[in-house]
Amino acid sequence: MTSPSASSRKVLSKIATNRLQKELMEWQVNPPAGFKHKVTDNLQRWVIEVNGAPGTLYANETFQLQVDFPEHYPMEAPQVIFVPPAPLHPHIYSNGHICLDILYDSWSPAMTVSSVCISILSMLSSSTSKQRPADDERYVKNCRNGRSPKETRWWFHDDKV
Amino acid sequence: MDSEDDMHDANDVESVDDDFYSGETAMESDDGDAADYEFIDNDSDEDDDPVSHRSQNYTILNEADIHLRQEDNIKKISSILSISSDEAAILLRHYNWSVSKVNDEWFANEEKVRRIVGLLEESRALPRGKELTCGICFEVYTCDKMSSAACGHPFCVTCWQGYISTAINDGPGCLMLRCPDPSCGAAIGQDMIIKLVSHDDREKYERYFLRSFVEDNRKTKWCPAPGCDYAVDFIVGGGTFDVTCRCSYSFCWNCTEEAHRPVDCDTVSKWIRKNSAESENMNWILANSKPCPKCKRPIEKNQGCMHITCTPPCKFEFCWLCLGAWSDHGERTGGFYACNRYEAAKQEGVYDDTEKRREMAKNSLERYTHFYERWATNQSSRQKALADLQQMQNIHLEKLSDKQCQPESQLKFITEAWLQIVECRRVLKWTYAYGYYLPAHEHAKRQLFEYLQGEAESGLERLHQCAEKELYSYLNVDGPSKDFNEFRMKLAGLTSVTRNYFENLVRALENGLSDVDARGGTSRTGGSRGLGAGSSKNSRNKGAAPPAARSRNIDDSGHWSCEYCTFANVRSANVCQMCQHRR
Ligand SMILES: [Zn+2]
Ligand SMILES: [Zn+2]
Ligand SMILES: [Zn+2]
Ligand SMILES: [Zn+2]
Ligand SMILES: [Zn+2]
Ligand SMILES: [Zn+2]
Ligand SMILES: [Zn+2]
Repeated sequence: MTSPSASSRKVLSKIATNRLQKELMEWQVNPPAGFKHKVTDNLQRWVIEVNGAPGTLYANETFQLQVDFPEHYPMEAPQVIFVPPAPLHPHIYSNGHICLDILYDSWSPAMTVSSVCISILSMLSSSTSKQRPADDERYVKNCRNGRSPKETRWWFHDDKV
Repeated sequence: MDSEDDMHDANDVESVDDDFYSGETAMESDDGDAADYEFIDNDSDEDDDPVSHRSQNYTILNEADIHLRQEDNIKKISSILSISSDEAAILLRHYNWSVSKVNDEWFANEEKVRRIVGLLEESRALPRGKELTCGICFEVYTCDKMSSAACGHPFCVTCWQGYISTAINDGPGCLMLRCPDPSCGAAIGQDMIIKLVSHDDREKYERYFLRSFVEDNRKTKWCPAPGCDYAVDFIVGGGTFDVTCRCSYSFCWNCTEEAHRPVDCDTVSKWIRKNSAESENMNWILANSKPCPKCKRPIEKNQGCMHITCTPPCKFEFCWLCLGAWSDHGERTGGFYACNRYEAAKQEGVYDDTEKRREMAKNSLERYTHFYERWATNQSSRQKALADLQQMQNIHLEKLSDKQCQPESQLKFITEAWLQIVECRRVLKWTYAYGYYLPAHEHAKRQLFEYLQGEAESGLERLHQCAEKELYSYLNVDGPSKDFNEFRMKLAGLTSVTRNYFENLVRALENGLSDVDARGGTSRTGGSRGLGAGSSKNSRNKGAAPPAARSRNIDDSGHWSCEYCTFANVRSANVCQMCQHRR
């Protein structure tokens, strides 16, 4: 497998471009609740605004997700990170990396940006405490020279926060 | 006064003799004379040979065999559970190719197994005649361009190909492929995979499939020899773990190290770790160096003089013993080879701790070096013997057959001798690891061990010498030698004698040297505790051989078998030609 940081620099394949155009069209008609796609002409990087769901610890807070697509999207997973400042959450590192299985091992090409966004919001909404992962400092230090979260060997925390 | 010691020995026997070798203990432990009896009886050369006649508890498999077994298991499960062979393969892979596990789980709770593995009870076909949207590329296709697993989730052929090929190139996870729909866990059968992928990917997939049968299966392992493609199927329980592959490499099935009988896996792994240079280096530095009192770099002393000059740029001159500046030293402190200041301080107990540690480190290092050198020597000696054996079979035997006018079938005794040498070098090598870990306070065991090892070793040296040097003189002659038959007798005799020595050694070590207790028991009634090495030779000579063994002492051809080493001597000889033991 090509390394994601390298593949994200590679141009999208024809299949990937077609699929992303379809996803974008679908998004415009039917955006997931709480998300806003910031329009650019870069199909390979989406910047998405997330609003914390009302009645949760993140109500009235706004964050930004950055989604980068590899050449062979959707066969390969997109790289999804929060643009710092990232939400204070036990599965989100201060550099914006997110510990969520569907972004790595459990990715399936039948998933979409929209379904990923919904999973991330549900992860935020179910949080009961605003804190960083226990190994935040060590992890972030290890990622210093621009390592992608897709190069991390994740072991996934319990689904319930 | 000995009772405590004896208790100790008895306890240790149990702990050394782990269940790995327990198969052997039962037959040995009936009475104290068992060892002597076995010894004399061994010339029968029948099924009691523990090295070569053990019933084989393993099978060597080549690629075709592996395929066959895999297919066989799949067929079996498919017919017992009345499912397709694709489904049977998925089940077997999930339960690590254990037919019985699949059976048990399935009949305990079929529904649960189906859910876990992703096998649907009924497969759903694609809706007929309609246009469908592919769940990956979101394009609309007619149904003939679509495909689905048993769940009926439709994806276009191109997307399936991309999905499967990505999985195959990601690794063996492709053997557990599921439907891409995130809400669905339906397993994807081999049929579909093979139908859709490229030739290269298909080969990769089939490779993973075959490898899985060996690697995920608790009963099989690949032979660890470099470049060897055989696998070994092992029946766990009973017998040793030693396995000899068809490539001729022998290894331990349990730990996959080179075969190490009679030493157990733990000792081997301890020893191998020990040999990894680093830990020993630390001891070496501790034993042979001290930090320079000025710059603190470790200084190594290699000559007798106590006057040390640190390396540049420091160049500090000091006394090795007291670490004081050399300028304070001279004739009055005892000259170059002693130091009064140190002696005085030692009297007061100032240096005790560090010195004691250093001494201990030094001793333990010397002890380790002793065993390591012998271990390594036998290792290289074995390598050499293997090469010699090969050369013998490829070149020398033919030449010898020519020179001595002997059919090659009559020269088998030479190959046998070399095979014995190779095997003995291996055993001997591991006995040095065994010896290293044999506790120093177990005096009786140590003595017995050293005695048996010594006997075996000198037997082997005689055999090796004979096979190497004497054989050579029969190779480099112009015509047949008159005494070739004598040479045959001698080499064959040495081979069998050496085999016996090593069988004794192996058996004793596998029993945790428990013979010590048996002997101890006999000698205690005699009121003395003179057991172990020195006396056992005599006690053997006097030891009453069972009548059966006695009567067999002279065979049909009029040879008499030496009581001590079993060598078949000619009738006229009064002294054994092998061991000089009197008839
Ligand atoms: Zn498609
Ligand atoms: Zn499905
Ligand atoms: Zn092999
Ligand atoms: Zn082993
Ligand atoms: Zn110095
Ligand atoms: Zn001194
Ligand atoms: Zn003899």
